[in-house]
Amino acid sequence: MKLPKARELVEAIKALITGPYTSKFPYKPHVPYSSFRGQPKYDPDKCVGCLACEQVCPVEAIGHQDVTEGDEPKRIMFHYTDTCIFCGTCELACIADNQGIKLSNDWELSFFDRKAESFETIEKELQLCEMCGEVIACKDHLRWIVERIGELAFSSPTLYYSKLRELGVVDENIVSALRDSGRSDRFKILCARCRRETTLTTK
Amino acid sequence: MARSVIPIGPWHPLQEEPEFFSLTVDGETVVDIDVSIGYNHRGIEKLSERKSFDQSSFVIERICGICSTSHPFAYTRAVEDIIPVEVPDRAKYIRTIVAELERIHSHLLWFGLAGHFLGYNTVYHWVWKLREEILDVCEILTGNRNNYAIFKPGGVRRDFKPDDFPLVLKKIDGIIPTLNRLKKAVLDDPVLHARLKGIGILTKEEAIDYCALGPTSRASGVARDVRKDAPYGAYDRIDWDMIVTENGDVFDKVVVRVLEVYESIKIIKACIRDLPGGEIDLNIKDIPPGEGIGAHEAPRGETFHYVRSDGTNRPARHKVRAPTFMNLPTYKATVIGETISDATIILAAIDPCYCCTERMAVRDVKGKKMYGGQDLVRLSQEKTAKIKREMGIP
Repeated sequence: MKLPKARELVEAIKALITGPYTSKFPYKPHVPYSSFRGQPKYDPDKCVGCLACEQVCPVEAIGHQDVTEGDEPKRIMFHYTDTCIFCGTCELACIADNQGIKLSNDWELSFFDRKAESFETIEKELQLCEMCGEVIACKDHLRWIVERIGELAFSSPTLYYSKLRELGVVDENIVSALRDSGRSDRFKILCARCRRETTLTTK
Repeated sequence: MARSVIPIGPWHPLQEEPEFFSLTVDGETVVDIDVSIGYNHRGIEKLSERKSFDQSSFVIERICGICSTSHPFAYTRAVEDIIPVEVPDRAKYIRTIVAELERIHSHLLWFGLAGHFLGYNTVYHWVWKLREEILDVCEILTGNRNNYAIFKPGGVRRDFKPDDFPLVLKKIDGIIPTLNRLKKAVLDDPVLHARLKGIGILTKEEAIDYCALGPTSRASGVARDVRKDAPYGAYDRIDWDMIVTENGDVFDKVVVRVLEVYESIKIIKACIRDLPGGEIDLNIKDIPPGEGIGAHEAPRGETFHYVRSDGTNRPARHKVRAPTFMNLPTYKATVIGETISDATIILAAIDPCYCCTERMAVRDVKGKKMYGGQDLVRLSQEKTAKIKREMGIP
């Protein structure tokens, strides 16, 4: 019989004690390194609904749907986990200090029903034009702009009034009573087209 | 004696281009080989023209699972060549580190599979265990084992965290003792000498004539390496050696790849040591009209990209030339005159893609007998066993 070399013997004993190199998954959960790029997750508090992530996504894994009917218009943001390539471009492009959508460490993303489970959603409140009902932006997005540009916000009534509404200093009774599609409408939150009409038309 | 034709292919799943080999054999000996490519048109170049310059890098990354640094590296260099612009120093070093990590894991993958095909399954298991450590390093530094998503025109997307470096260096240093032992075991093994030396010889003249690239040409004594010939990244600021051997046989190709792993480790450690601070990205907004070329020394040879811009935010034309495209024709010089059991390793010697073997089908003249990839592996492993028996090695 061929005797094992000392090195081989050491290796064999070491293997007996430490066990196999492979992990015991799925009996033991796999914990990735903290820098692992897993599923991107929205933070509903930080996200402002600006759609920058949707624009930069190379695989169109991010989408949105604007619900304008009903009392509470809202924007639903979708993230499709089956299309996502976990590149992190959305996180790098996020205007809310890269906090609105962040890559998590989640990697177990399998699901049974592609139509119902392959995506995650968050809802953001939408600001509609008070004359024509056109989508302007998410309310958080307007607030975010006001905070960023400071006193320059006074040059845009839409931004200025959205801030005032948030502070609760606008008397809704007075504003809603103004209904003549004319100069008085300039005190409302308007889309760009209606703003131009109220300012320039001779009505 | 009747000649038969052995078809291999036509789909080669791991490589950039699927290929079809038809080996004409006279008994055991290969007398002719015909290679056809272009079976799997994925439309990557066209797809890249539909994405913006920034988004294209993710498509390019997926040309090849193993070369997921090489292609974006060459692509970003091509886009930067249009402007032209020089990326920040820190980005250069980060790119170099990722590229060399990829070279290590690609060469180790090839090395392990070569061991498997020759009947050295211990080598296969040990080397792939080492490769896991390198993939872990990739995950720590870039966030994923493959498809690093770190390259962008003008710099890199993500910065390295200095806190990770001790663990990274520990892991990289940790593979060296095992690698030393494997190198010694493999390169001093008399059976492997008998099995690999003198087969599949690509002479220096042939390597130049066929425009062989990467380790294939360097094993034949042609000192051809983009990193030395036209330095980019941090390669000109770091001291490293180009590995060149003279014989051009399969054994020398193994030697070149194994020694290149050591060079890559040297480069990575030097890069981490010298990593400069500062910006990692130029934030390029507009790409002017023009043309640009970019080359990168991938693990298998020079990857070459050509990008033309018409001033919009998308490439007007994007052309990719993978190294395997240049290395494939060398089969004409290497396989002819060898036996089928050697053809398995020779066909694999230019490139770390072995899936071809899984797709092999062997037919005799009457078309009744058919060998799958496993039969060919068995043929190859049996030859090693035969050599062992003849040499009296248990």
